[in-house]
Amino acid sequence: MLAVYKRELKAYFTSSIGFIFMGFFLLLSGFFFAMTNVFSASPNYNSVLGNITFIFLIAVPILTMRLMPEDKRQRTDQLLYTSPLSITGIVLGKYFAAVTVFLLTLLITCLYPIIISFFGDIAVWEIVGGYIGFLLLGSSFIAIGLFVSSLTENQMIAAVITFSSLLFVWIIDWVAQGLPTDRVSGIVFAAILALAAGGFVYYNTKNIYVGVATTLVGAAIIVGTYFLADKYFFDGFIVRVFEWFSLLKRYEEFQMGVLSLSPIVYYITFSAAFVFLTIRVIEKKRWS
Amino acid sequence: MIKVENVTKRYGQHVAVDNLNFTVDEGEVVGFLGPNGAGKSTTMNIITGYISATEGSVTVDGYDILDNPEEVKKRIGYLPEFPPLYLDMTVKEYLDFVFEIKKVDKKNKKQDMERIMELVRITDVQNRLIKNLSKGYKQRVGLAQALVGNPSVLILDEPTVGLDPKQIIEIRNLIKDLGRKHTIILSSHILPEVSAVCERVIIINKGKIVASDTPENLSRRLGESSKLSLRVAAPEKQVIKVLRDVAGIKYVEAQGAKEPDTIDVWVEAEKDIDVRKPIFHALSRAGYPILQMKSMDLTLEEIFLQVTTQENGEVS
Repeated sequence: MLAVYKRELKAYFTSSIGFIFMGFFLLLSGFFFAMTNVFSASPNYNSVLGNITFIFLIAVPILTMRLMPEDKRQRTDQLLYTSPLSITGIVLGKYFAAVTVFLLTLLITCLYPIIISFFGDIAVWEIVGGYIGFLLLGSSFIAIGLFVSSLTENQMIAAVITFSSLLFVWIIDWVAQGLPTDRVSGIVFAAILALAAGGFVYYNTKNIYVGVATTLVGAAIIVGTYFLADKYFFDGFIVRVFEWFSLLKRYEEFQMGVLSLSPIVYYITFSAAFVFLTIRVIEKKRWS
Repeated sequence: MIKVENVTKRYGQHVAVDNLNFTVDEGEVVGFLGPNGAGKSTTMNIITGYISATEGSVTVDGYDILDNPEEVKKRIGYLPEFPPLYLDMTVKEYLDFVFEIKKVDKKNKKQDMERIMELVRITDVQNRLIKNLSKGYKQRVGLAQALVGNPSVLILDEPTVGLDPKQIIEIRNLIKDLGRKHTIILSSHILPEVSAVCERVIIINKGKIVASDTPENLSRRLGESSKLSLRVAAPEKQVIKVLRDVAGIKYVEAQGAKEPDTIDVWVEAEKDIDVRKPIFHALSRAGYPILQMKSMDLTLEEIFLQVTTQENGEVS
């Protein structure tokens, strides 16, 4: 893993991708820093971090689009996959390399609050909390980008799909507001999810019985929940499911300087899930 | 050392490798011969663990590729059809990287690196970026990569493709040397190459083994070419008339004149009959000087045709 990590990290800066990412990020964050803090003489730095999250939409696809397709294009995947390294090690190495580039960029932006501190008081721990949240949020977006890049062999397609996915995650709260909240549609949606889970299991195992069994278990859980546990569980179910994917909502706490465990666990789980999916996709490709 | 049992690889409906069975003993140099799309690369990718077989098993040194991938992969050095090179690295950086991912003992790293670079003659380009190297050098860096960690098995997919004749001879000699200490499987679609280096040849076509033998036995079985190409200084009609009367000739085909006042003809003899002397006597008696006579080399297609028809003949 370490070898892949080092190589990928170096590749970010031998190709221009790392510099493009850093330049783009620093330019926009610097602009917002100037507007929010410098020109309006405000020491509130956390609102800058809150305002610049949109940069991820463009910056993350730049960072992640070549992660998996590049090896395929150069055929170096043959070297990696025939070496004693595990797929997990390879994927983690790549993921952490991308996160490291992001982290380095964030470290440079630490100059902004330091500049503020020369002219006024800053809330140090609030800012530290804001940065931790920002790093976790970015890492989650990078995990999505990594996953998307494993689905295609074309870097441009990877970039465009990553952008669309991030945009969807971005507006998911607005989308959720417009969705039906009544019980019937909640149950129908849960049924669709059970069917999708069955389909996913069938796709991965190629065993129709296991797939059907998964769907049936899902259906049993729905029926059981409705009749035995909580009649009201499916009221607003769709909205709640969509909110699970609302990365930005969890960032609000960090922005206020609150450092609580649950959003931290949420972000780490979210990233781990997408890294795991990436590993699955690659193993699946080699098996078919 | 390497045992391939009932290996089949399907891509949807298409069967790339069809129930392949063979073993390679320790220290053996085996050649895979086959036309493009025969399943050579697929088989090699399966043995090295790059892709998995749909059915069947591969064991290397007693370890199964699915149960103990790490142990198998440690024992194999693989040069794929296109050398897997990071173009943005220098040769030395790249080999360093390969050392690390192959989890080789770092104790003798420096000597090992120097030995490998010396062996494939890339010492003088070690600080250059791989993307600036010529095709031949890239191929050698690919070979160096396969040698890292001194694996007991080497799998080389068309190692001489794209090289100039001098480099081809160099690489062939290198493979011959390596064959003393390593078990080697190499693929090619050039017959002379395989017979020059390998102790045994496995011919595959359409994913199946059609023949497996030593190069000598194989060429004996295929028989020396019974086709001759002749250039005779005489009018076309007379030459053909004379040749038709020679016993043992199956057919004569005129090829037109390539030099003024001569005629080129192709002659095919009955199996196991040497017609060269009778042709000489017949033509000299008629007073037509033979300017050129050579047996025509079998093309790969003809070899496959012969092998496949022979095999079918044995079955039926």
